[in-house]
Amino acid sequence: MVTKESSSDLRKALAIDNNLCTGCRNCELACSVHHTNTFNPARARIQILKEEFRAMVIPMVCLQCDSPLCAEACPTGAISENSAGVLTVNHDLCIGCSNCVTACIYGGIAIDPLLRKAIKCDLCGGEPACIDACTYQAISLQSTDSHGLRGRSDSVRNLRTAYGLSEVDA
Amino acid sequence: MTFPYKGYAGHYLDVDLTKGKIHKREMEKEWARLYLGGSGVAARILWDSTGPDTDPLSPDNVVVIGTGPLTGSMFSPSGRMMFAAKGPLTGVWAESHVGGFFGPEMKYAGFDFVVIRGRSPKHVYLFLRDGHAELLDASDLWGRETDITTQMIREEHKDPAVETAVIGTAGEKLVSYASVIVDVYRAAGRCGIGAVLGSKNVKGIACRGSLGLEVHDMDKYLEANAEEMAKLNDPLWTASLASLRKYGTTDLVAIINEIGRLPTKNHWTGFYEQADDIGPETIAENYRTTQEACHGCAIGCKYIYKVKEGAFGGGPAGGPEYETLMAFGSNCLNNDVESIFHMGTRCDLIGMDTISCGKTIGFAMELWEKGILTKKDTDGLDLSWGNVDSMVKLVEMIGKREGIGDMLSKGVRKAAEIIGGDAWKYAVHVKGLEASGQDPRAHQSVGLTYATNVRGADHLRSLSSLEELGYPDIVSERFGAEKADEILDIMSPKHKGEIIKDIEDLYALVDSAVICKYSTMWPPIYYYDTFVNVISPLTGMTEWSDTKYVKQAAERISHLRRAYNHRLGITRKQENLPQRLLKEPMPTGPAKGGLPDLDEMLDEYYDFRGCDRETGFPKREKLQELGLDYVADDLAKRKMLARGK
Repeated sequence: MVTKESSSDLRKALAIDNNLCTGCRNCELACSVHHTNTFNPARARIQILKEEFRAMVIPMVCLQCDSPLCAEACPTGAISENSAGVLTVNHDLCIGCSNCVTACIYGGIAIDPLLRKAIKCDLCGGEPACIDACTYQAISLQSTDSHGLRGRSDSVRNLRTAYGLSEVDA
Repeated sequence: MTFPYKGYAGHYLDVDLTKGKIHKREMEKEWARLYLGGSGVAARILWDSTGPDTDPLSPDNVVVIGTGPLTGSMFSPSGRMMFAAKGPLTGVWAESHVGGFFGPEMKYAGFDFVVIRGRSPKHVYLFLRDGHAELLDASDLWGRETDITTQMIREEHKDPAVETAVIGTAGEKLVSYASVIVDVYRAAGRCGIGAVLGSKNVKGIACRGSLGLEVHDMDKYLEANAEEMAKLNDPLWTASLASLRKYGTTDLVAIINEIGRLPTKNHWTGFYEQADDIGPETIAENYRTTQEACHGCAIGCKYIYKVKEGAFGGGPAGGPEYETLMAFGSNCLNNDVESIFHMGTRCDLIGMDTISCGKTIGFAMELWEKGILTKKDTDGLDLSWGNVDSMVKLVEMIGKREGIGDMLSKGVRKAAEIIGGDAWKYAVHVKGLEASGQDPRAHQSVGLTYATNVRGADHLRSLSSLEELGYPDIVSERFGAEKADEILDIMSPKHKGEIIKDIEDLYALVDSAVICKYSTMWPPIYYYDTFVNVISPLTGMTEWSDTKYVKQAAERISHLRRAYNHRLGITRKQENLPQRLLKEPMPTGPAKGGLPDLDEMLDEYYDFRGCDRETGFPKREKLQELGLDYVADDLAKRKMLARGK
């Protein structure tokens, strides 16, 4: 486990405001360009699911959890915080077993269809390509303190309500 | 030799339904180089494989499902794809485009095109995944509406992200204007491609892919892309784009009614007094719940509606576009917007074009008013203007081809033939395609657009917004300052032949790239230079960085599609307007008294197009200049080349 250096701490997570997101998936394209130099949403570390029957778009991206279920489930210790405090997959150690995918209840980690290794949001080293690519300004970088998490939660409130995961809008 | 260009998936499928065989083939280099993709390549394929003897609903017809190099390549707005075939409604060139997510996904699954031939002995659908394709059993899907069909296909593959393009029950029953529905509420609506798929026993096509697309020079392409996006983000267009995001195309109800061009009462007039009831503010305030975008699109014009309660309670679902509001609204003197939501959604589920369906109902209502149709013809339905109950019933009857619905399912031209007498006077179509939501009596160049459009009376092959909304700088830049005043005069026929030829060529590229008309048609931002800028770094086709080459490619596509139609019997005589739009002066509204000077515009158009004024046939020199020698040779044999030089 790498120890955190508080000076370059990147303890942040992406927040996607569901009220602004139109489901265009340009973030996926930008992410795939950044990480694979191709246009390939299936290899993006941010995923926008859509559910036409409720007219919902459902953004999925790593929460950069404090107690990451993915890391806990990894049999080879491939997932750990890097020097900036961002949860990262070490592809030299990853065996592509999908345990992390099963463990993460937020859909924040996936298996790259080409590499057959786990991939997840690494915040592009502090300047996420998806934020820049979103013409609707729906994506932002939030701190993982309680204030940031509250903002993140609020931005997807309508989804929780629609799927009966929380009480009707407070 | 391997297909050398990037930005394309690099393969296409040739499906022989009769034998149940699927051939995976490498993309043809010349298709990309000369015809780019989409509409251009489809024209090349259909030129070779269909002709005057092809019955559109027989196994001989061929359906081309196409994308272009920009599809799924992060260019905004490029989430589109297209379908083409010989049309069952019109008997001529048929193409229909649709947004959503299917086109990009098809490319990520490894295929730029799918060519479907023959007729399957069983009900099937085609499934594509990562370079593989198979025909799967669709016997459980047959008879289902489009939403259930989509859901069942996703469940079969245990993947909610599978994209689908499917027909509904109308396509199965061969309604002449059956559509193909993508992503539940997006429609490749026009021209009846859904019926062609239905005649082949094909319920649809589904795909899922992770192959991705390579780019020839990613840095240069992204830079070019950013330059084009910067044009879109120019403050000049902020208001236009904000309106598209807030209202989508519903805004057009208000804008177009204001200039007296909103088809009302079966195109009797162009001004609807109750337009506010079916207009943008009413919808935005009471029914619109959210906004959506197609794949990679920065505009985001699609809105979602919900009707909370009442007879037409429903949604959330994709809201009706301008054309649907016109067809079921003003066109039928129906100001009950909730009924329009209902009929629009029913058309998506049944799989029918809302324009042709609404226009055919409007036609029947006028025949009722004139006493040409009576209760004994209409299965007891009262077809008075705005009778919502009857309209709702008719939509279902047309979808099932029951009672009078059978005749109306054939479109206005055929229905008028069957009814006989004066009925033809009220059939507003060109080449058999019901007119979309414009009127040349309020906008001269629309007349030329309708008359020359290769698929019939609609706006999407060459509508000019330049004079409609007035863009003097753009007009001067493109056509010269000395012509600007006359071009900008919406009721002057002057120079309209030149601009419509130019725009038809531009849209030929748009439809081959394949991108959306928004940002090209309106606001008129992207032009030939856009394609010069982005195609070459994306694909590595260096010729495409030359403006002359790009313009020539555009002209080549236009001419090939026109020649396709000549071979099917289209001449100047059919490049005409229905009597109502040509001879009956606009009776009311801001455009009162207006009539198009079609002949004058057509003469000029043919001159600019390199065609003979008398017949509309192309000149050999023109075709040779475009590398269409094979077309010239074929037309010569049929005596369909312009005489003389």
